[in-house]
Amino acid sequence: MRARLPKEGASACIVNARKRDMEKGLLEGIKHGETVLEARGITKRFPGVVANDHIDFELRAGEIHAVLGENGAGKTTLMNILFGLWQPDEGEIYIGGKRVAFRSPLDAIDLGIGMVHQTRKLVSAHTAIENIILGHPKAGRILNLKRAEEEVKELCERYGFKIDLRAKVWQLSEGEKQAVEILKALYRGARILILDEPTSVLTPPETKKLLASIEAMARDKLAIIPFITHKLPIVLAISDRVTVLRHGKVAACLETGCVTEKSLAEKMVGREVIFRIERTKVEKGKPILQVENLSARNDKGFLALNGVSFSICEGEIFGIAGISGNGQHELAEVLAGLRKAEGGRVIFDGKDITHSSILERWQMGIGYIPCERVEVGSIGDFSLVENTAMNFYFDDHFCRRGIMDYRKIRGLTEEIVSEYGVVAPSPDTKARNLSGGNLQRLILARVLSRKPRLLIANLPTQGLDVGATEFVQNKLVEEKKAKAAILLISEDLEEILSLSDWVAPIYEGEFMDIVPGEKAKRETVGAMMAGLRPTPTEYPIPNTQYLDT
Amino acid sequence: MRIGSYQLRLEKRLTLTGWQAAIISTLAIIFALVLFSFIFILADINPLVAYRETFSYAFANPRGLPLTINRFIFLLLCTSAFIIPFRAGLWNIGMTGQLYAGALSAFAVLLAFGGKMLPPPDLSPITLIPLMLIAAALGGAVLGAMAGFLKGKFNVNEIVVTMMLNSITFWLVAYMIKEGGPFMNPGGRGESFELPSSAYAPLIMDIPFTIFLALGLVMLLYYMFAKTKIGYQIKAYGHSPAAARYAGINTFMIPLLVFILGGAVAGLAGYHYFAAVPGVYKIARNYGYFGDLAFYGIICGLISLGNSFAAIPVALLFGGLSIGGRFVQGKLNMGFGVDYALLGVLMITLVAFQFFYRYKLVLSVEGKGQRRRD
Repeated sequence: MRARLPKEGASACIVNARKRDMEKGLLEGIKHGETVLEARGITKRFPGVVANDHIDFELRAGEIHAVLGENGAGKTTLMNILFGLWQPDEGEIYIGGKRVAFRSPLDAIDLGIGMVHQTRKLVSAHTAIENIILGHPKAGRILNLKRAEEEVKELCERYGFKIDLRAKVWQLSEGEKQAVEILKALYRGARILILDEPTSVLTPPETKKLLASIEAMARDKLAIIPFITHKLPIVLAISDRVTVLRHGKVAACLETGCVTEKSLAEKMVGREVIFRIERTKVEKGKPILQVENLSARNDKGFLALNGVSFSICEGEIFGIAGISGNGQHELAEVLAGLRKAEGGRVIFDGKDITHSSILERWQMGIGYIPCERVEVGSIGDFSLVENTAMNFYFDDHFCRRGIMDYRKIRGLTEEIVSEYGVVAPSPDTKARNLSGGNLQRLILARVLSRKPRLLIANLPTQGLDVGATEFVQNKLVEEKKAKAAILLISEDLEEILSLSDWVAPIYEGEFMDIVPGEKAKRETVGAMMAGLRPTPTEYPIPNTQYLDT
Repeated sequence: MRIGSYQLRLEKRLTLTGWQAAIISTLAIIFALVLFSFIFILADINPLVAYRETFSYAFANPRGLPLTINRFIFLLLCTSAFIIPFRAGLWNIGMTGQLYAGALSAFAVLLAFGGKMLPPPDLSPITLIPLMLIAAALGGAVLGAMAGFLKGKFNVNEIVVTMMLNSITFWLVAYMIKEGGPFMNPGGRGESFELPSSAYAPLIMDIPFTIFLALGLVMLLYYMFAKTKIGYQIKAYGHSPAAARYAGINTFMIPLLVFILGGAVAGLAGYHYFAAVPGVYKIARNYGYFGDLAFYGIICGLISLGNSFAAIPVALLFGGLSIGGRFVQGKLNMGFGVDYALLGVLMITLVAFQFFYRYKLVLSVEGKGQRRRD
């Protein structure tokens, strides 16, 4: 470093000097197993919460270090700090043994940190290679696409990414888009890669490919931090070490070799976790929902639901198992009134409701938990009180002659927040500031406090951590005991099999079969989800019998 | 940025209280005035003198103050007309057209009673003025309803529709008041016939009664959005139409309703300027000027973040500066357009300062705790 100190500030100068060092490749010389990144005492406070409370974190070259934690445990905050998006209130970050201060992600990128966010940040009208070189300092004023392509191809081969670099991004699958983002970070010279829930949007084969690529990168002395909320088997499969966060603190930092799925989950939640909920038998009552030959179109105008018939009685859980995009979402929306039925009938408690409005359905006791929590199930800019009002503004008890009684609604909000364990500083907190699990608790609480006679739960545990999943499942069972009819849609086969009284695998808009829960087997249901017709069943299908009445 | 042992950096804001927003806006206004003083200095005018003249004419001069108040009423009505759809997430760019429609409808009432004839027929103001008000509101509402209906039914972009309706009504007014038009002034001066004195809006201390209308609307809107079910539904739709639909809110009625209400309020603004301001009482030849002025309703609405109470000081300031700016331009022999330029600078600064609604400056001392500002 030269002796000349520019007037505008010393720290900027240090960072700039280090930047120059890095460009020469300070992290390149590092040996396998040496510490590349260290964070000491990272603390970040937001109004009402301490998101990170003196977190220590260490990353070695060539390791895959998973960060695990429930929704809201502080993973995202920590990663955003390591990537320079936020500045910590306290604490220090060291890279290659030297203290650094990031003013923006640009500083972090220059020091060799790359981040792949959960939501894609690509220009979809551009090609993959154009996206990769976007913002790259070497790209220069006149693009040399050919050279860049060759260099990126080399990276692809080394780490086993198979993508057409000339394809437009909108033509790529989710897995390929993610690969483009990883390549972008690598091409920018990243030696430390942060992956935010990398497998959440991938299909199983894509996940397998990604894990292979991650391992290849780790062998190349890259340090990788994938952080994963709830897919414990993946953590066990790929990581060398795992740091578990709980309530903003480090609960444990363990070698993956000496942990089990159960012990990890317990560290995460802070208590013992029951992985499987036993099916409870409830005396079933009269049929509440009868669906006859129902069909519907999807947003693109294709027939997505093709003549399904079934019925659900009081005290029953009817589980629909299927890979997303097979019509189950359209079914849920038709039943909730959000989508027009193309044909067929829906009968609720003896009344034909095929053409009833959404509001009428709420009022007659149908509750819908949508899978799009953020876009549909809640309003981010509304406070918790106003969000609670979404299901109550039309009730005379909470709204007299067009005037809302916000005092009563606030009371109700406080009640459900404490009963359902929604972690929030106050009822006036905006829903946007809640983590995914807390938001789902709020939505669930709000819908269940209407005491619905029919509950439609669309992917109620998707993306939730172990603790929240367990909570939601228990609540569903409680509703069942309270004699509600429940339609459960899930991609998680375990969940369907352990909770449902009836299991209906759905494929391309049709039920492959309707199987009694206790007779449903993982293998056969799984095969039917993939489109295999069942062999003639040895049991009668009793679930259509009500249709004659 | 670093100054000595102090470090200044930007941080994202998670919450913004009304007071913080007010302080930021005040700072923005001061900043804009400082910025604009360079223009005065370039014209060899002492900015302090210029501002003293501007403000004293606008707010303390017996001739200027009534002008300011009339303009304030007009802007406040336009702002309310913008805010109602704005809370539903929709942009009403059509206050201009709606106010013309309101003015035409109000004048049409007179026509229906034979008011164009000279001498004017003897009409009872007690029936005539409410009729004119209702007609003005209806005229604006019909124009607004077109945009609301198209938005609710076919999801047609409301900005495009309202903008195009502006052009249509502009030329409709031209047709109505110029040579041969049904509203033509008998003298043929390219403006509409004058109202008979019995149709003048009542004045209270030389101020048209429409001020109570405008202020009453502000309170009504505030109450509507804070307490009522319909206000809740509009806000929910404004934040997320998909979530509003899920909650059972009628996604056809809300756009229609907010545009009907917004249009009606804009129609009242038209009534105010052409039928209630002393000395006007006709659709003047420079009617386009008031049409342009209506766009400041958008700016006031945006600056007040859709809060109708906050719109009062903003509309007062804009009204006063547009009057005072025009006066100073004449008095100090400056070139054309000082009032527009001043409003323009103020507008840009206020919008730029909204950056601080989302970010705050944090001043920290090396090694010590932090102090926050703004």
